[in-house]
Amino acid sequence: MTPKAIILQGAAAMMLVTGAFVYHVGAVWVDVREKKPGGDHVRLVVPAIIAPVAAMMVPKAKLQEAPAELQQWLPTIEAATDELSRCPDSVFVQVDSRKEHVKIAKSGDHLVIDVDDPGETVHVSFPIRAVAYTARQLARSAPPVAQRAGM
Amino acid sequence: MRKILSALTILVWLGGATAALAAERWVHVKVSETGEDGERVRVNIPLSLAEKILPTINAHKLHDGKVRVDEHDFKEVDLRALLDAVRTAQDNEYVTVESKHENVRVAKSGGFMLVKVRETPHPSKKEKETGAAPKVHTVDVKIPFTVVNALLSGEKDELDLLAGLRALGQYDNLELVTVNDEDSSVRVWIDTQNTAE
Repeated sequence: MTPKAIILQGAAAMMLVTGAFVYHVGAVWVDVREKKPGGDHVRLVVPAIIAPVAAMMVPKAKLQEAPAELQQWLPTIEAATDELSRCPDSVFVQVDSRKEHVKIAKSGDHLVIDVDDPGETVHVSFPIRAVAYTARQLARSAPPVAQRAGM
Repeated sequence: MRKILSALTILVWLGGATAALAAERWVHVKVSETGEDGERVRVNIPLSLAEKILPTINAHKLHDGKVRVDEHDFKEVDLRALLDAVRTAQDNEYVTVESKHENVRVAKSGGFMLVKVRETPHPSKKEKETGAAPKVHTVDVKIPFTVVNALLSGEKDELDLLAGLRALGQYDNLELVTVNDEDSSVRVWIDTQNTAE
């Protein structure tokens, strides 16, 4: 087997493993479309693994600077995402008016947020597990709020 | 063969019964505003989610699933005394609080506490001109006494929301709150469906 073939096979295997891993963890989808003529259309797909990995790489000293409000709500976020993972698919919040439509729903293992107003449509979908992973990572790494207050 | 079929039938029935008992309870809120620009809001939350989240919230007057209630929140009405009066009253006997524009009736019926509020607002300028009667605002609340007792199971100046939610989980289908006024209607209920419609 030629070195070129070995490299190509290795690259293909790497892509396969990466794709399987990303599929397992899920991806964050963002789709924003402006309704005006010639408006922008932004579509973004980011592997959800980026969020918890980024949280692990943040120096602990920096986490002490995290807003107190975020640290206060971390247990709530963790509890909510854990329980949401167990819920069946459902529309949690739906707001409809003449000008705007907002929907927050669970679809599979994703939380989906859709907003439709006169200016634009926004679609955001992210794996619920990724939020839980990130929240746990931040909660484990950041010192308790009480300790911060005593510093 | 017949014994096997009977056993399978019993197993299927038991499985269904167990599933029904373990069915998730959902709290639904439906708000509908009238008018061309009226907004319609639908909220569907599994009770288990609320039970898991509530103890983690520590903000303002809400801590560990309990909310602190100050005396002035109910404008000199002794809520516990009122509820005790209803609890010890006979079924369908009302405790009534009347004022010029508001009529509040609290009663006990079939293990539920019923609260009916009828408020007649001051007539608007248009209503004064046309002589039309202002629309009466209505609030109807139906809460099982087991939930009321759970809410009041904490300290004197607090409501144990978490205990109340857990008590509410014993009911499959229950209409909790209905509010109607000239601009909007609000409905809060609990059932085992994950959709409001």
